[in-house]
Amino acid sequence: MIQYQPTRRELGRGALAAMLAAPALTGRALAQGQPIKLGFNGDLAASPSAQSGRAAVVGIEAAIEDVNKEGGVLSRPLSLVVRDDLSQPPKSIQNMSDLIDNERVVAVLGPTNSGNALAWRHIPNQKRIPVMGCIGSATDITKPMREGADNYMFRVGSVDRTQVVTIMGYAKKSPRTGKIGFLTETTGYGQGGLKDLQEVAQAQGMTAVANEKFNVNDTDMTSQLAKLRAAGVETALVWAQGTTIGQVMRSMEKINYFPVVLTSWAADNLSFINAAGPQLAEKPVFLRTVSEDRTPHQQAFFGRIRPKIDADSAFSFAVHGYDGTMLLARAIGQAGRTDGPAVKDALEDLRGTLQGYAKTYDKPFSKAEHEALGAADQRWTCWRDGKLAAYSDDVVRGLRPEDFKG
Amino acid sequence: MLATVLQALVSGLAIGGVYALIALSFSITFTTTRTLNFAQGEFIGVGAFLGVTVLYALSSGEGGSFAALAPAASAGFRYPVAALAVGAALGTLGLLLFLAAVRPFAGKPGMSWVMSTIGFGIILQSLGLAVWGPAPVNMPSPFGDDVIRLGGAGVRPQELAVLAMAVLLMVGFDLVMRRTRLGKAMRAVAHDPAVASLMGINVTAIMLGAFALSSALAGVGGVLVAPIASASLFMGVGIALKAFSGAILGGLDNPRGCIFGGFALGLMESGVALWQAQWREIAVFLLIILVLAIRPNGLFGRRALDKV
Repeated sequence: MIQYQPTRRELGRGALAAMLAAPALTGRALAQGQPIKLGFNGDLAASPSAQSGRAAVVGIEAAIEDVNKEGGVLSRPLSLVVRDDLSQPPKSIQNMSDLIDNERVVAVLGPTNSGNALAWRHIPNQKRIPVMGCIGSATDITKPMREGADNYMFRVGSVDRTQVVTIMGYAKKSPRTGKIGFLTETTGYGQGGLKDLQEVAQAQGMTAVANEKFNVNDTDMTSQLAKLRAAGVETALVWAQGTTIGQVMRSMEKINYFPVVLTSWAADNLSFINAAGPQLAEKPVFLRTVSEDRTPHQQAFFGRIRPKIDADSAFSFAVHGYDGTMLLARAIGQAGRTDGPAVKDALEDLRGTLQGYAKTYDKPFSKAEHEALGAADQRWTCWRDGKLAAYSDDVVRGLRPEDFKG
Repeated sequence: MLATVLQALVSGLAIGGVYALIALSFSITFTTTRTLNFAQGEFIGVGAFLGVTVLYALSSGEGGSFAALAPAASAGFRYPVAALAVGAALGTLGLLLFLAAVRPFAGKPGMSWVMSTIGFGIILQSLGLAVWGPAPVNMPSPFGDDVIRLGGAGVRPQELAVLAMAVLLMVGFDLVMRRTRLGKAMRAVAHDPAVASLMGINVTAIMLGAFALSSALAGVGGVLVAPIASASLFMGVGIALKAFSGAILGGLDNPRGCIFGGFALGLMESGVALWQAQWREIAVFLLIILVLAIRPNGLFGRRALDKV
C-alpha cells in the first residue's frame, strides 16, 4: 500500500491555506450551530461481549472522523456521546432516556447485549429516535412493537434468524446432511435460537429427530450427545455461546461421535477455540458478516483500526458500527433535517448506493425490512490452524437466494 | 447402551468429585462455627485465576500468552506448585474473611454473617474483574488432553485427576478428624464451643483454622476444575450452589454425608440428562426438596434442636 507522505512545502501551503480559511470556517461553524450528536449505549467493560461493544465504538468513531473530514452532514460535524450500560438492562434503559432527553442525540447506536435492546426498544419507538443496532443479534430486536406500527429499530449486523435460515439452507442442500438434530443452550440466546431453528426447519420442510438442551456452564454433554447418536443424527445444529460450543466439541470427542456441526456465530469468539482446543475447533462451520478473505478495501480499514480493537474476530463489529454510522449520516443528509421521523423515513428510502465495508448498500432498508444484512451477505467461516478462515465447499458455492426460506 | 450408561456414570463421578470437595468445605466451617462462607463460589473463581497467574509466572517465555497458556505451562512441578500456592493464598484469604466478615457477627442473633460473606465475595469478584477482566481463560491440564477410553466410555485425564484428588483430600480430612488430637479438638468445638473452651481448647484458633482450610479447599477446587471448564470468575457460583445442595442433601453437619451428597448430585445430574436434559435441574431440586421434607437435616445429618 502506498502511503501519502506530504512534503514540507505542501505542509507549508496547507498551513497557509488553513490560516486564510480559518476565519471563514469559524464564522460558518457559528452560523451553522452545534454538532449533530449521535449516541452509543452498550456494554464496554462488564460482560464477555464487551470487546464487541468496544470494537463497534471504534468503528463508529472512524466513520464520524471520515464524515467530518468531508465537511460533516448538513454542514455540521457529527459527534458521539458514549454511555456504558455495564450489560445491565436497568442501566441500559436509564442510558437510553439520558441520551434522548438530556443529550438530545439524533440517533443511538448499540447496544452490545440483545437482552438490553429488547428491554428498551419501546423507548426509542415512543420518543421517535432511530436506533442502529450493530452488535446484538436477537431476531426480535428490529420487529415493530405492533403489527404495522412505525418502527425506529434498524440494524447493520448479524441476525440470529438470518443465520438460522442460511445454515438450514446449507443443511437442506448438502448431500451429507442426513438426519438433523438440535443442541441448544438453556439461556435466552440458546432458546431464542431454538425457536428460530424449529420454525425455519418447518418452513424448509425439514424435521429434527432429536432436540437436546444443556446449561451454559456444563462441561459434559455426553448424555445429550449419546441421545443424538442413538437417534441417528448426522448433522447437529448447535445454538450456544463460545465456551459452551467448545465443551460440546470436547464431549463429542469423549464418545467419539462427530456429526457435521453447524453452529451459531458465537463460535468465532476466542473463548470457543480456547475451550475446544485448536484441533476440535476446526470441525464446526458458522457464519459471520465479514469474510476472513478480506477485500483490499476491507483490509485497508482493518489496518487502520486493528491497533484499537482487542481481537481480530471483533473486526466485524467495527465494520457494523462504521457502516451503520455512514447509513445514518446519509439518511440525515437526505432528510435535510435531524428530527427522528424524518431520519427514519430517509433510512427506509435511502437513495443512491453507499460503499460500506460489509457490502455496498443499495436501498438497505424499507418500511418492512429493517435489516441491512441478509442471508446473501453471510460469510461462511471456520477455524484453521488457530485462526479464523473463510470456509467453502460445493454446497456453499451452489447456494442460491431461493434456498434461504423462513 | 451399556457404554452410554457407563459414560453417564464416569461423567457423573467426575463432576460429583468437585461437588463433594466443595460440599466438604461448606461442612468444615458449618460444624465448627455454625456459619457458612457464601462467597465460596467466588473463592473458586479467584483460585482458578490465581492458579493461571502462578502458572504464567512460572513458565514465563515458554508457556504462551496469559489468555491461552500452552500445555508446557502446566508441565512438571508447575501445576502442583500452583495448586499449593493457591491453597496457601486462599487459606490466608479465608482467615481474613473470618476476621472481617464472620467473627464480628458469629453467635449473635440475626443473619448479618450471611450478608457479610456474600458482600466479601462480591468485593473479591469485582477486584478479580478489575485485575483479570471478564473473559474466560484457558488452563492446560498437566496430564494432557487426550481422551482415555474405559470400556466404551471416554474421559479426560484431568477429570480422573479431579476425582482422585478429591477422594484423596476427603480421605485425608476424614483421617485427621477421627484419628488425631486436632480432629478431636475440631469435633469438640463443633459439639459445644463453650465446653471445648473450658477443656483448654483454643476455640478461636480452631475456627480460624476451619475457615482457612475451607477456603483453601475452594481455591484448590478452582485449580482442579479450571482445566475442564476454563478459568472464569463466574465459574464458581454454579458449582458452589450445587455443592451446597449436595451438602444439604447429605447433612451439613456430617462431613461424610456431604461427600456422599456431592457425588449423589453429580450422578443424578448425568443420569437425568440421559433421560431429558432440560428436566435435570427440576428433577434434582425436586428430589432435594423431597428428601428435606422427610429428613429435614439431610440424609445423614443429626437432628439439631434450636434452643429458643
